[in-house]
Amino acid sequence: MRNEKEVIKLIENNLDPLEIKEKRKQNISVSFAPDKAIQALSFLKSNSYKHLSTISCVDWIDDNEFELVYHVFSYEDYINISVKTRIDREKARFMTLKEIWPVAEFYERDIHDFFGIEFEGNDNLEELILENWNEIPPMRKDFDTREFVNEEYEWRDYNGKKHTD
Amino acid sequence: MEKNTQTEIFFGPNHPGVPGNYGIIYDFEGDTVTEAKPNAGHLHRGFEKLMEERIWIKNTALVPRICVEEPDINEMVYAMGYEAIGDLEVPKRADYIRSIILELARIQGHIFSIGGNAAGIGQYTVMQWGTLARDYILDLFEEITGGRIYHIYIRPGGVRQDIEDETFDHILEVMDDLEKNRLPDLDKALYENPNAQKRWKGKAVITEEEAVEMGATGPVLRANGKAHDLRKMMPYAAYDEVDFEVPTGENGDAWDRLKIMRKEMTQSIKIIRQLIANIPDGPVKLDLGNALKYKIPKGDAYVKIESKRGEYGYYMVSDGGLKPYRVHVRGASTPLGLYGVTEYLPGTRIADVPVWAKSLGICPPEFDR
Repeated sequence: MRNEKEVIKLIENNLDPLEIKEKRKQNISVSFAPDKAIQALSFLKSNSYKHLSTISCVDWIDDNEFELVYHVFSYEDYINISVKTRIDREKARFMTLKEIWPVAEFYERDIHDFFGIEFEGNDNLEELILENWNEIPPMRKDFDTREFVNEEYEWRDYNGKKHTD
Repeated sequence: MEKNTQTEIFFGPNHPGVPGNYGIIYDFEGDTVTEAKPNAGHLHRGFEKLMEERIWIKNTALVPRICVEEPDINEMVYAMGYEAIGDLEVPKRADYIRSIILELARIQGHIFSIGGNAAGIGQYTVMQWGTLARDYILDLFEEITGGRIYHIYIRPGGVRQDIEDETFDHILEVMDDLEKNRLPDLDKALYENPNAQKRWKGKAVITEEEAVEMGATGPVLRANGKAHDLRKMMPYAAYDEVDFEVPTGENGDAWDRLKIMRKEMTQSIKIIRQLIANIPDGPVKLDLGNALKYKIPKGDAYVKIESKRGEYGYYMVSDGGLKPYRVHVRGASTPLGLYGVTEYLPGTRIADVPVWAKSLGICPPEFDR
């Protein structure tokens, strides 16, 4: 069983992180350049970080970037590591994690639905949750729910008054 | 393919054999599933997007709705995420009360899902008994929080209000009743029932490697003998101050999972008794100022807790504003309901599909969000 300091040292010695810090007890956050992230995850998996909790995506519209966050956990160290990487928002493409964790296929499909990111190597990116969606992906910050509803649906009248009056 | 050997069937989205509005599209050959495709999306309500448009406190009323089976878990993770980013320490008494609520929620959830599992194999009596036993706990929730299903009780900084001493007595009475009457009834009707054993033993097996590989946790993983429980591995609330065991199984099948659920209820009763006996005095919430103006610094946190079906996590990001910048929900059954269905359901016979879906605790609202 390694503690947080030892795990940080392990990562620093073997990988090339941009930034690494102990967020709080049993939680480490580390960021990599996009071309190094998948390799880093593969390294972590072979070092007992076998549990992939999920893949999160954050739209940093002001920086014109998407951030992908992979949460992995070790049943030996009892430490959670959030592996972060940022990709360009205009060319929203990234490598798939499917080869290392097959379950990632579905997390990637979810992100593809809601953020419109393409994952190279994941040949099954058909719609998972959304159906017949023609707008911009809805979890992007520039998607306005109110505007979408106003355009898509008609407000019901209540006693001759429009809902928006 | 010869004529009439392969049949495609839509199972759900409205079907008593599936847990919630979620469909699975099967291909059958004879009565064996050859291919299964999850058909999610019928329950999508856009929670994550809605949360980005609401102030921090408003979301406490929204999050319990993400999983109908386990609303309190969502309140707890949301509050924990807020506290982790803001680096806040909750008063001791609030920690104890949170653990009591979470354990009550675990018992009611287990009773309910054991009933659901029983109904899946045609033992409807157990389901009705389970619903009754659960109602006594819902009464307690009503007394403590004012709500039966959705409590909106655990919130950033603590809990909404204190529990009266009289209520602790009521909780203990219900626990005694459960232990003396309700659970032994359940044992006789279900766990000693040869029919139930026959239907569950050796069915829906998920091995340890498979569970770890796909990220399945909770009873699914513990049914293989490993006592992996976040209450022990990453203690939160008051779990590091109570003494309890983590039940495990051996074979990784539906029967082991069902037995784990039953044993966990006994442990939860034990935990609740210890918590009530040792609860410290003091405040139950931090003063965070005007509730409409809650603010935490820029930052992010991935927080997770042990729900009755395993790891329940939120990835929360704050940009220092009045609203969360991003909240991502990792439901306990997400890997099983999507990847598990495609990968491990084929080979199951049609009558065992409810055994499969229900014993793995699939809860569609948490991956439809």
